[in-house]
Amino acid sequence: MLENISLKEIQRKVYMTFFQDGLWDIFLGLFILGWGLAILTDATYLPGVTFIGLYFAIWGIKKRLTYPRIGYARFSTTSRRRITARFIILGVAVMLVGVLMAVLWGIGTRPQWLADYFPLIFNGILAAVVCFIAYWARVNRFYLYAVLIFLGAVFHLWLGVRWEFGFIGAGGIIVLIGLGILIVFLRKYPKMVEEVHDSN
Amino acid sequence: MRRYTIVINNSDEVQEPVNKIDRLIHEPSRYILMAYLYVVEVADFLFLLRQTGMTWGNLSAHLSKLETAGYVVIEKEFLGKKPHTTVRLTDHGRNAFEEYRGNMKRVLDNLPAK
Repeated sequence: MLENISLKEIQRKVYMTFFQDGLWDIFLGLFILGWGLAILTDATYLPGVTFIGLYFAIWGIKKRLTYPRIGYARFSTTSRRRITARFIILGVAVMLVGVLMAVLWGIGTRPQWLADYFPLIFNGILAAVVCFIAYWARVNRFYLYAVLIFLGAVFHLWLGVRWEFGFIGAGGIIVLIGLGILIVFLRKYPKMVEEVHDSN
Repeated sequence: MRRYTIVINNSDEVQEPVNKIDRLIHEPSRYILMAYLYVVEVADFLFLLRQTGMTWGNLSAHLSKLETAGYVVIEKEFLGKKPHTTVRLTDHGRNAFEEYRGNMKRVLDNLPAK
């Protein structure tokens, strides 16, 4: 019955359209790849630059590639505030963990466990952020990405694979999956121009 | 000879919510459109088309009816040389949709349990 059509389900469908084109997957993959290259080349600025550069690039690409194919919808101010609040809380939580680790690292009495398991903690935090996105947007493939990111640290600690290669490998796989999704999306949804209808 | 009595419940309690059902929203395609517009602030024509699976003409006709009732506002513009139509729910439409859902719930709640 009509009254049983869940508004939450419709809201979820609308959320999912943001991830339908694979562009956020490519964004995440390149960002993770950026971390690997940053560690490899000691270019500490790289993740930040990648993040900001890609973020704006993605919106530009979406405007040209996605919206002419599946259209555009903007959430209400209340929903947008709720989404922003979630990301702020997430950002603050990650920052707090980062500050705590920096303090522990800097006080001289650096705990041995922190030195030993730093990659695991670092990748764990990244994976947790990706899990949060997966849970919030109900995009299940992001859980797989979280596992891939976390595995990078596991392979590093227990199999001796270089830490940066974990990032590069995970990032590369995520980019490839994103590209695959993008190709399917482009084939499935051809560009559409509105037909002129006189609704009056 | 046996006499049977048929009791028809004509009480306002049962009839009133049924009478209050907004027939304009009750049509499934329009209900879906209203539901989409209820969860977003604004959506363009193409978005509604893709989400609902309607045809251009169908969507246009339903939106036109909702616009006539004052439930939605349709704005037409040109992006470059391409036409672009955005649709948003009015406050009146939002209230009507909430009222419709409430009435439907009441109607179904009044049905006897199996």
